[in-house]
Amino acid sequence: MKRQLTITTERIDEAALLSKRKMSDGMGAVVSFLGVVRGTEEERVISAIEYEAFLRMAEHQFNLLFDQMEKRWPIESVRLVHRIGVVQVNEPSLWVEVVGPHRNEAFAASQWLIDEMKRVVPIWKKPRA
Amino acid sequence: MDIAIHFYSYFKELTGCSRTIETVLPGCTIGDLLKQLATRFPKLGAMQNSTLIAVGVDYQDRSYVLQNGDEVSLFPPVQGG
Repeated sequence: MKRQLTITTERIDEAALLSKRKMSDGMGAVVSFLGVVRGTEEERVISAIEYEAFLRMAEHQFNLLFDQMEKRWPIESVRLVHRIGVVQVNEPSLWVEVVGPHRNEAFAASQWLIDEMKRVVPIWKKPRA
Repeated sequence: MDIAIHFYSYFKELTGCSRTIETVLPGCTIGDLLKQLATRFPKLGAMQNSTLIAVGVDYQDRSYVLQNGDEVSLFPPVQGG
């Protein structure tokens, strides 16, 4: 399984990411997800979220998740970009793309990856008023 | 032996620092370390039930026996995405 992980302070450029998509003839499903900062956090209006990561551990934990994903589903590739630093409302903080042979595997793997990321990858958010 | 401890997220605010050194006895577990730290940082002690613990880049539980040179990280539940 090809994997590409980027944890960055740069803006997520979805169009550039889509233009670099590669998939083989046997693949029939691409699931991509864009997580965007909402304008409210726990019912309070915010202007941005500041993301903090324990970078070395975050990369390691993402790779452990990719290892598990590869064992569970016949996924050809996963690309994941997580923004850190200050992310304004309406800007994306997370982009995930999973390429697999069929939609069931691609949907299941991407849902699982995001759920697990929220459980084990050491990234935290701090809302800004 | 001296153990380096790193704090992340609002644990930095609870302790007033991002890093500290704690001297522990050989055979000390992470559970023992947390009790020692709770006396220095009472606000951190109050968070014990929700504290996540890593040694290096891997999660460990409170029974882990600390080794010389271990780097311990303590942080609240993660919130990526």
